[in-house]
Amino acid sequence: MLLELDAVTKEFPTRGGPPARIMDRVSLDVRAGEFMAVLGPSGCGKSTLLQMAAGLLPVTSGVVRVAGRPITAPPPEAVYVFQQYSRSLLPWRKVRDNVAFATEHRLGRKRAREAAEAPLEQVGLAGFGDHYPWQLSGGMQQRVAIARALAAEPALLLMDEPFSAVDALTRLDLHALVLEICTRRRLTVLLVTHDVEEAITLADRIALLTPRPTTVAEIIEVGIDRPRDPVATRELPRFLELRHALLDRLMTRHVA
Amino acid sequence: MLLDRLRAILPGLAVLALLIAGLEAAVQAGMIRRVLMPPPSVIGATLFDLLASGEFVEPLMATLKLVFAGFAIGSLIGIVLGTAMGWWPAAFRLFEPLVELVRPVPKSALVPPLMLFLGIGFTMKVTSVALVVIFPVLLNTLQGVRGVDRVMLDAARTHGWGTAHTLWHLVLPAALPFVLAGMRISLGLALVLAVLAEMLAGEGGLGFLILDMQRSFLIRQMYAWLVILAVLGLALNGIFAALERRALHWQNRNA
Repeated sequence: MLLELDAVTKEFPTRGGPPARIMDRVSLDVRAGEFMAVLGPSGCGKSTLLQMAAGLLPVTSGVVRVAGRPITAPPPEAVYVFQQYSRSLLPWRKVRDNVAFATEHRLGRKRAREAAEAPLEQVGLAGFGDHYPWQLSGGMQQRVAIARALAAEPALLLMDEPFSAVDALTRLDLHALVLEICTRRRLTVLLVTHDVEEAITLADRIALLTPRPTTVAEIIEVGIDRPRDPVATRELPRFLELRHALLDRLMTRHVA
Repeated sequence: MLLDRLRAILPGLAVLALLIAGLEAAVQAGMIRRVLMPPPSVIGATLFDLLASGEFVEPLMATLKLVFAGFAIGSLIGIVLGTAMGWWPAAFRLFEPLVELVRPVPKSALVPPLMLFLGIGFTMKVTSVALVVIFPVLLNTLQGVRGVDRVMLDAARTHGWGTAHTLWHLVLPAALPFVLAGMRISLGLALVLAVLAEMLAGEGGLGFLILDMQRSFLIRQMYAWLVILAVLGLALNGIFAALERRALHWQNRNA
């Protein structure tokens, strides 16, 4: 098991009242080399879950283990990819130096810059090293953020709705990119999303969350072989079947 | 480009020229007493003599040295203390009462007590300038450091950055627009305190000369030195604004 969440509970203090429990004993195992998607209705605390898995946010109770070790700070194996790429990249740094961000404190600025070229090429941004992030489109900026994460050579990639802020076509391009890189590098990924199709397209298993207080409702095997093509995958019977089942579970029409 | 810039500042320059011409005419017509206000043309001639003889260099350099030294020391203290207070809540609780106590005191009023301890030499003057520089820089740095985007800081954490690396390569650059805004305010105040300290110390520099000429009733010279001081202030401002634009070129991203 590369990542284990063991009965993770999160409470936030409220004014005057008892603390609000937004996450209740969530347990989740992510195997090495696996792509797991966490799917849930908006506001169910998916990002909170991911931040706790990354060691960026303390748990109220329960344990997060990475490679068997309980963690209380960001572990060296994992890198977090943020939803808000424009806020996680440094606007005063060129693209190359934003990718060097991942390794400069270990390798020094010069070697980190050299090491930035390969990941930039992998995400299709060779030749854009001297641009500033704000000179690029949203999709390209998220590619820079992915290149930065790859430059750290993580075993575990934690992705927080990384494709939600780009347009639909760009999203498909980025899906293809992530599918290709993760398959080739055998990366372990935990992806948080509210997009059912994205979850099925990318993941091996999908953890379906409940509304607050959040728990894991069910874990679903996707069962579509790799390598996958993000366009063709969407026409498979298994895809459509899963899409129907998941949307049915997620939509609030039963409650309303 | 140059022509456009010229066209933009032309009306303002015309107003200035008109004002000087009006002053000249008023003095020549006897509406203002010549003893108190020599005509601008006479001041101009005196100024030219000061410049041509090289007499202006030494006092100008003395004041410039004082402003730079005080500005550098005060900025450094302000940035270091402001960063510490913005980053570590413990440092904030430790220094906040002191800062709030000293900040509202007009720093000009601290020059006389400083003279008791430090005499009337360079040390006293630099200390006075540094004191006035510290606070705008400190408060702006504090605000800038506190305002650094949470997401950016989390990005540094997830990549394993240590505190020192984060402060130097992320927090300070991110807070730089605030730091520089504070420094710009401080630069103007530094010149004020430098001139005042020179007047009170009576040991050279532009401030001392302006007061000394007035007391010796060398009115033309007084005005000439005043013009040099004004140009110095203008130049300092211009240089700082240019450096600021360069340092923050990435901010013009919407332009």
